[in-house]
Amino acid sequence: MDDLQQRHPFLQGLSKHRGAPPTAVVIFGASGDLCARKLIPAIYNLAVDGLLPADFFLVGYGRKPIADEAFRADAAAAIKEFSRRAPDDAVWQRLAPNFSYVSGGYDEKPAFDRLATHLAAIEQKTGRDVQPLFYISTPPNVFAPILLNLGASGLAAKHLGTPHHAKVVIEKPFGKDLDSARALNGTIRSVFAEHQVYRIDHYLGKETVQDLLVQRFANSIFEPLWNRNFIDSVQITVAEEVGVGSRGGYYEQSGCLRDMIQNHTMQLVALTAMEPPGSLDAESIRDEKVKVLKAIQPLTIGPGGEVVRAQYAAGMMAGKNVRGYLEEEGIAAQSGTETYAAMRLSINNWRWQGVPFYLRSGKRMARRVSEIAIKFRRPPGTLFAGEGARFDLAANTLSFQIQPDEGLSLILNTKIPGLETRTQPVKMSFRYATTFGSNTAEAYERLVLDAMIGDGTLFIRGDEAEASWKLCTPILDYWRSVGRQGMDTYAAGSWGPPAADALLAARGHLWRQP
Amino acid sequence: MSAIFESLPGIEVPVGGIAKGLAQMWADTEARGGAAPGSDDARAMQANFVLLLGFGTTPDDARAQFQTVVRFSQRYPSRVVILCPQRDGDGAPEMRAKIYGECFLGKSKADKRCVEFVILSYPHAAREHLENQVSVCLSTDLPLYYWVHRFTSCTRVIGYRYLLARASRVMFDSATAPAEALTFAWPRPEIVRDLANARLLHVRQSLGQFLSRYPAEALVAGLETVTLAHAPAFAAEAQVLLLWLQARITGCGENQARFGLNPMPAGAAGSFGLTFGYAGGKKSFAWRGDLATGHAQFEADFGTGRTTLPASVSLLPADTALSEAMFF
Repeated sequence: MDDLQQRHPFLQGLSKHRGAPPTAVVIFGASGDLCARKLIPAIYNLAVDGLLPADFFLVGYGRKPIADEAFRADAAAAIKEFSRRAPDDAVWQRLAPNFSYVSGGYDEKPAFDRLATHLAAIEQKTGRDVQPLFYISTPPNVFAPILLNLGASGLAAKHLGTPHHAKVVIEKPFGKDLDSARALNGTIRSVFAEHQVYRIDHYLGKETVQDLLVQRFANSIFEPLWNRNFIDSVQITVAEEVGVGSRGGYYEQSGCLRDMIQNHTMQLVALTAMEPPGSLDAESIRDEKVKVLKAIQPLTIGPGGEVVRAQYAAGMMAGKNVRGYLEEEGIAAQSGTETYAAMRLSINNWRWQGVPFYLRSGKRMARRVSEIAIKFRRPPGTLFAGEGARFDLAANTLSFQIQPDEGLSLILNTKIPGLETRTQPVKMSFRYATTFGSNTAEAYERLVLDAMIGDGTLFIRGDEAEASWKLCTPILDYWRSVGRQGMDTYAAGSWGPPAADALLAARGHLWRQP
Repeated sequence: MSAIFESLPGIEVPVGGIAKGLAQMWADTEARGGAAPGSDDARAMQANFVLLLGFGTTPDDARAQFQTVVRFSQRYPSRVVILCPQRDGDGAPEMRAKIYGECFLGKSKADKRCVEFVILSYPHAAREHLENQVSVCLSTDLPLYYWVHRFTSCTRVIGYRYLLARASRVMFDSATAPAEALTFAWPRPEIVRDLANARLLHVRQSLGQFLSRYPAEALVAGLETVTLAHAPAFAAEAQVLLLWLQARITGCGENQARFGLNPMPAGAAGSFGLTFGYAGGKKSFAWRGDLATGHAQFEADFGTGRTTLPASVSLLPADTALSEAMFF
């Protein structure tokens, strides 16, 4: 956290999240869906919680000419529709005057000069330095021109050398394969230093994902067991109920591996499998994540290999018939895009050798759920073995449910009350909503504030993104080379294709149905 | 003080039958169709919370603090014990107990938090025996937080050694505590928190964020006076804020500043007014805050140009101040 403000005497005693400097957040793609659904409500909720500095500014930037007043009206509407808390007029009246809009193309240098002038005027008005935080939430094809123009206009170097230097937040995808990720990182690094860059994966802002580190490293009962001696296997599921809907055109270029596995799921792998970091600072944690990603063995791809892909076929969701992927709008009849991917990873290090990590993600699955399940080895089968159905012993399983119903549960074996000794697995559950209430901060609130205070812990470093792409790119290359050959299908509303079941059955495992 | 006990909601039960009474209370609630923890619900609980209503508490005040704890429990479900000591010779010589429960329903079925309160009334002299009774009401292993409200003497408070020894935090409010509370030699002073200071979080944050943008040495060079004007209703907060300013300014470097409070006349506009006075008159800093309107204003010139900045000002609500003092 070398990027955090030095603790000025007037910030001592305040948590780091209460020390955000004067900031102007510039959102590229301000008329987009993400801005309305997530970013504006996140900023509004930070204001409600009193976490924004008094001199906070939001500047929308986009191609579409929008007057300041119209931008404010759109923002107010977004808060009304998408904020987790009802609009408070007093809060909005304080925020709204500092919302403004600059229109211009992403490849127009003069427009960026206008943006620079606009930011300078804000500083002039406040009479103090204002930290620029550039938030790129545009389609990836304009990442490069935006970055280059931020460099050319001098905005990327604004206040460099001070704690309130310019920062840039970049939304995924960080490339579409290893080469493009490297190219993107090259562009980023030609303009910004790594400590100015915040690659966002909103999964890392979720409470349960952050809790994973606390559960692992703040509870002494888990860490001694967190290795090949006690853990049988790990399953990570990121399942969606929705199909591609109207995003078929986008999804055809992406697919499940790019859309979910390479980023969200691999981040969950890294946090689950990494070694304890030396400290909680951003670089220590990210160093360990990179190390474990690099320890993942290259996958065997092809028939009988360690990767499965599939498309959803027609099926039934919540009692209603739904169509298959190939019948969806904007999907090519012979599409080779996977809506489901599963894989078996091997991590070649002292801690994990021989423990399979099963990953799966898909659309139109039986239930929307994201979870990490740690299945422990069975105890030596001497005392409670055999004798028919007398002893129903389950493997101890610790599962972190990331969404929905955030929490964790542990399966334990207990004795059924009675004269005879009979056993039964029982589930102990902790649910965030039951303990802390469900109206907790959303991932984007945490992440936007972290970027403002210069804390990169929950963001992805460039080498992390590349390590993940290095693993996934050979799969994409292979799939591209074979077209639809080997593409499995699964009924919409199911837990996935038979080939994915076979992937686990080969090692005597079964997918969970969480 | 039995008037306090009488004034609080709940069902009176025998002291030896608290657990049974709680089970019966939920069963009755469920039978009436009310929200109650289901048989397969985990009773969410993060902490043990003990509120001692000191001899300075009135029945109205007791009910107000009870509601504060109820609101707090909506966010942080706790096992709550409320202690109502009676002056010796005032009321029944025996210990009495009441139970109270409430379920808070959130957005989803999973978002149901049920909390249980135990209210104990006892002669002050019986506090020696209180430890055992309180201990069976609390959940072992979970942290204990202890809020002492309107006590009349610090010495009397430290008579509750059991609570002070086991608590993770002890909270009092200097707005209602005796003046000695701020300087009292508390056992384990590191766990004692003043709720007035917690209430001021947004004020400290706002001042901290603003002033931290200037070099520390620029803030103290030539600084002669730090004056905090305050409305009479916020005398306790002003005193705490001035102590905070003193510590922060001392941290900025050597200075000869004189610190002072300046009570505003009753009815004057605004709640707080902070000014830094500098030698030579070339530098200035002023902050005014009005809690009634929520508006604040900074005016500063530390030699780099004049800055005027509107801001907001508020005190944390009582239940949020509790969580701030307890957890942060």
